[in-house]
This record gives sequence, C-alpha cells and structure tokens, in this order.
Amino acid sequence: MLEVRNISKSFYRAEALHDVSLTVNKGEIFGLLGPNGAGKTTLIRVINRIVEPDHGSVRFDGDLMTDADLGRIGYLPEERGLYRNMTVEGHAIFLGRLRGLSKKDVKTKIDYWFDRFNINDWRKKRIEELSKGMAQKVQFICTVLHEPKLLILDEPFSGFDPLNVELIKQELIQMRAAGKTVILSTHNMKSVEEICDRVALIHEARKVAEDKISNLQAERKMGLYAVRFRGNMIAFVNALWTGFEVVDKDILSEDRFVVRVKMRGESSFEDLLKVLIGEVQIEAAWEVMPSMQDVFIDIVQPVAK
Amino acid sequence: MKNSLLIAIREWKERVGSRSFLLFSVLGPMVVLALIYMLFVFGGESKQHWNVLIADPTGILKDRVLNDDDQNISYSFADNYIKSEEFRDAKKFQGFDAMLEINEQILYTKVSHVFYRQKPSAQMEKSVQYHIERRLEEVMVDRFADFSIQEYLKIKQPLNLGFRDVYDPEGQKSDLEGWVGFFYGIIIFVFVFLFGMTILRSVSREKSNRIVEVLLASVSPNQLMLGKIIGIGLSALVQFLIWAVIIGAGLFLMRETLFPDMLNAANLNVQDLGIEAANQSYGEQYFSAREYNQFVELVYNRVRFSVILPFFLLFFIGGYFFYGALFASVGATMGSESDGQQFVLPIIIMLILALYSGYYVLNYPESPMAGFLQYLPFTSPVVVMVKLAQGYEHGYEIYVSLLILFISAFAMLAVASRLYKNGILQFGHRVRIKHIFKWLRKT
Repeated sequence: MLEVRNISKSFYRAEALHDVSLTVNKGEIFGLLGPNGAGKTTLIRVINRIVEPDHGSVRFDGDLMTDADLGRIGYLPEERGLYRNMTVEGHAIFLGRLRGLSKKDVKTKIDYWFDRFNINDWRKKRIEELSKGMAQKVQFICTVLHEPKLLILDEPFSGFDPLNVELIKQELIQMRAAGKTVILSTHNMKSVEEICDRVALIHEARKVAEDKISNLQAERKMGLYAVRFRGNMIAFVNALWTGFEVVDKDILSEDRFVVRVKMRGESSFEDLLKVLIGEVQIEAAWEVMPSMQDVFIDIVQPVAK
Repeated sequence: MKNSLLIAIREWKERVGSRSFLLFSVLGPMVVLALIYMLFVFGGESKQHWNVLIADPTGILKDRVLNDDDQNISYSFADNYIKSEEFRDAKKFQGFDAMLEINEQILYTKVSHVFYRQKPSAQMEKSVQYHIERRLEEVMVDRFADFSIQEYLKIKQPLNLGFRDVYDPEGQKSDLEGWVGFFYGIIIFVFVFLFGMTILRSVSREKSNRIVEVLLASVSPNQLMLGKIIGIGLSALVQFLIWAVIIGAGLFLMRETLFPDMLNAANLNVQDLGIEAANQSYGEQYFSAREYNQFVELVYNRVRFSVILPFFLLFFIGGYFFYGALFASVGATMGSESDGQQFVLPIIIMLILALYSGYYVLNYPESPMAGFLQYLPFTSPVVVMVKLAQGYEHGYEIYVSLLILFISAFAMLAVASRLYKNGILQFGHRVRIKHIFKWLRKT
C-alpha cells in the first residue's frame, strides 16, 4: 500500500530523518512510534508531500506518489486547528471539497458522519463555541469525510476523554475491517497494543525497529509466567522450591492472588504447573509478554546510552 | 486552480460576512459623501453672522458702509470714540460681535483695529477688510484725487500675469484634476494597505491556530497563498464597488436635489465675481463663488471617469497583487503574530514613498523623475493615476507601466511563494534576515 524508501531529510544542519524505509500493508493499522523529536512528524509530512525529502521516495499502491494521491489520504496532524469563526457544517464542506468531494457528495457524507457521531445539533454552531473534545470530533470527521484509502493520524487521542478515545478506536478498527489502511502516530502505548498490527519505531532520525507487535514483544520476553490461584500464599511459595523465583504478586482477595514467576535453570511452564497442582487451586496461568511500553523503553534507552 | 478557487471563496465569504466589512462598506462612503457635501456647502460661504459696530467720531464712513453689501455682516455706527474696555464691558455693546475704530488719521496712516469677542473666520476678516477698504478708497478718491472712483479702480487693477503651458494653453491639465488622480492613487493604496494587512493577519492566524497543516495536506503552499490573495482581493473589490455605487448615487442625488443651480453657469454669483475681480489681492485666498462652482463642476463635469476608472481598476489589481504578495510572505515568515510586525514597516515606508511620489508628479508632471516613477511598480499605481487625471492618457507610457506592474506582480508572487512555502510551517521562531535569505534560496 505505502512504501517509504530511504528517506532522508535535514533542516539546515539538523538531520530529521536518516535513510528511513518502511512498508505499510493494505488493511492494517500501522503504529509509528518514537520519542518526541525523533522525526515521526517529519516522516508524516514527507508522506503527505508537505515537506520534500532530500533523498528517497514514497510509493503509493506501487507507483511513485503524486499530488493526485493526496485525495486518497486523510491526514489529521498533531497540531491541528480549525477556522474558529466558521460553522461546523461550513468547515466540513470546505475541507471535504478541498479533498475532492463534489458538492452533492460532501453533503451526503456529512449527513452520514454527523449521524454516526451524533453531532447533528452542532451543524450551525461556530467552531469557537465548541469544547476541545467537540472540536476534535469535528476534526476527525473532516479527516475521514472523503473516505480515504489511507488514514494518517498524528496523536489522534490527545484531548479526548476515555469515551471518545474508545469511539475513535472502534472507528479505526471498523475501517481496518473495511480494507482501509491506518498509520497511527501516538505515545499512547496501550492503544498501540490494542489496535495496531505492526509498528515502526523511529529514534534519533533513524528507524530502529519495524515488526508485528507480537514479534517485538516475543523478542523481549524474559521467561516470566503469571498464575492466578485461590489458596494459601505460603503454600504457593513452598511448592515452587528452587526451580522458580517469585518476581511479584497482586493480592486480589484474602485467598486469591496473581503471582509472576521466573523460571530458573531448565524449568519449564509445564514444570511450574506440575508443582502447583494440588497445592493451590489454579484459576489461570499464562506467559507474561512485555508491554509495548517496556518494548519502547527497551529499544530506545540502549540507543540513548 | 480549483483548490485556489475554493480557498478564495472561503476567504471571500469570511471577509464579506464579517460585521466590520459591512460597517466599513456603508460607513466609509457615507463619511466621504458627508465630506463632499460639506465642501460643497461650506466651502464657499460662512454661516457666521457678525454684528459690527463702527466707532467713527469724524464721520468718515458715515452713510458709505451699507448693510446690504453682505448678508452675513450688519454694520452699525457710533459717532463717538469708544475705548476697547468700554466696548468689552458695557451692557449696551454686548449685542455687537466686534468694534471697528475709524479715526481721522486713518486716511493717512491706513491703520485701524477691529476688537472682536470671538475670533472670526478668515473669510469674515477678509469680508470686513474688503468692505472697509473699498469705502475708504472712495473717500480718498473724493478728497485727494480729481478722477472718479471707476477710473481709480481701473488704475488699481493688479497685473493678471497668467503662466500658461505652451503645450496646453487652454489649461486643460489643471492641478485640480491632478489632485483627483492623486485621490484615486490614495484610494488604491489605502485599500492595498488595509487588505494587505488582512492577508498578513489571515496567514499568521492560520499559522498560529495550526489549520495550515491540514490545508497543506490537500493544497500546495502556492495554491493556498494565491487563493488567499485572490479571495481577500475580491472582497476588496466588492467593497470598492459598494463604495463606488454609494458615492456615485450620493453625488447623483446631490446634483439632482441639493445643488441643481450650481451647475448652471447662468447662476454664478456675478456680484461675488465682481468683488473678486476688483480685489484680486486676497480673492484667491479663499473659496470664492467661482471656485466653489469650479469644485462642483470638477466633480460632475471635468473628471473623465470613463478614462480613469478602467485604468484605476487595472492598476488597483496590479498594485494589490504586487503588495499583497509582499504581505503574504511577511505573514508566512512570521514566528508569531507580534514578532513579524517589524517586517511590515518596510512595506509601509514603500507605500508612503509611493504616495509622496504621486504628490511629486502632481507638481512636476513633466520631470524626468516623474517619467521614472511611473514605470516603477512600487509607485506606478498612484503616479499613473495622477498623470491620467492630468490628461496624459495618450501614448504608450501607461501601457508599458501597466505591463511592468503586472510582470513585477507575477515575479513578486513567485518570490513570495518561495518564502511562503518554506516559512509557513515554521512556528514560534524569531524572524531573522538570514532565515529569509535561506528560504529564498531553497526551492
């Protein structure tokens, strides 16, 4: 769907992107991660043809990207604004027309999206009368109004309350199901874990990782397992003997716990279950994967050092 | 181009829909009309009425100064000497606005004083001086000469030395018409400045509220800038048309209802003309009846709107694009709205210099400098307006000037679009000259 090849970009002497390449597949939600100032926004601007790269190219559906492709992209920048004295409807019509919709189409799409987000009452309101969250909704609608094949969202959840974050997430999941592609740049790692299929991590102008989330997590797993059980904590610890090490525990109630255990030597998950059976009542047991937060820190910190 | 059009329509709607636009569109021409009306009505006559007491103990002027000489002045006589303090304080003199002293020495010294309570208008002073001086001349001719007052007036007639242009002996290229051209030039520059500042504010607002990045994902910086300049320019044109219609209708109504007789040569105030002719020493210092009618005639008959207006429109558009591109690039390079104000100063200086050059050409239309200034795109809109109004519409010069202006406007748009493209996504920085040069070099 989108291929970024060997993109480099410098602003005077500061290097913003160094030989960055990545591929975004059709129908996936692709996370673009990285610390502040890593070069994510510059990369997004290059994809949107707002900034011209010094080197490299961007391909869209196999062909070199042109201005005509911009109509198939929906872009929600991180620092986004609206014309404060325009009405909600006027704004949506203006941006929809700018992205190539006809007068008739833009009205149909507005009806659909305003119904979907339940904001029909705001049509004639001026943007300056809206709260920040309401304005964010309008911005999101303006981004997807022309039904782009590729959606590029830079920090789409900032400023939203949890309900609206959930609403946007569900929209993105539905778009993926409909075959659309989404590039999501965010610091919200929980959302990344929940909805992204693959991610790329940019750090200090370079791409330092690109893979499926599960692969990135699997590469960094530390042999940790969690057991949720009912019973006596002392009996649990005594049962472990020398082959295992308790890392930490959550107390759910007086006789209910979740304990994370690290294997020692040749001990396996099966061995762990064997020693526990009969000592405590096991409710669930699973392998603990590192969170994306951990993966992020794990990748970024060594480079930073 | 379609995107530029959409941007232009949005800008146009925003301006035209605003209250300030409506206010400026209606109030502006009303103020101009009111000023014109006041010039017509009060330009030639004073509304002030004066009661003058002439203290003439020796009876020099008795029965010579008549009240029907001037409706605005009433003269009364006292045959005794009155001190100024007495005139100031005595109850019986409170009805008089001024006291004129005539003593026996006046025929020799030609010195007298008028004591007033409130300072009179310059015209009132001239009228009193005129009335008294004429009557004294009659007395002097009676006493000291053996020829009649008519013969005296013939002798007294000053030399009327008329300086005439050998190429324009009829004086068709008059200064007054030149001033009308200058007025047109001022209108161009006032609109260019007002709407140029609107462009600047609009660009910097889009930068500060970050809508610009959303727009740039759909339109190129050049399209955005061009759309903005066109949209705001169209609103300027609409405003100008509203001004033209209101002022035009107002002038028409004034001609039909308030001043129909002033346009008729038969209605000239012959008496006032006579006064002026007899006393040219001060006749040219204030609006006489003839000049008053000349002004009305200038507006209604001598300004060749059909010649001036088409060129006005073309130079308006050219000048607007030229300066509009400058304002847009300043707006795009600004880090914050307040930071870039200093960069507006050079543009304002250019505009002021352009106005001054118009004034210069008004006085020296044939000078080599005037020839140069009419080709310079910074100054040509106002200079050409002055020259056109002075009657220089024939020849290739104006078309060359127009061509240079439009080529320069396109060149300026190209330069501005480079600054715009490179500066529009820079936020919160302090503008430095070196940034501007870097942005100009970058493609």
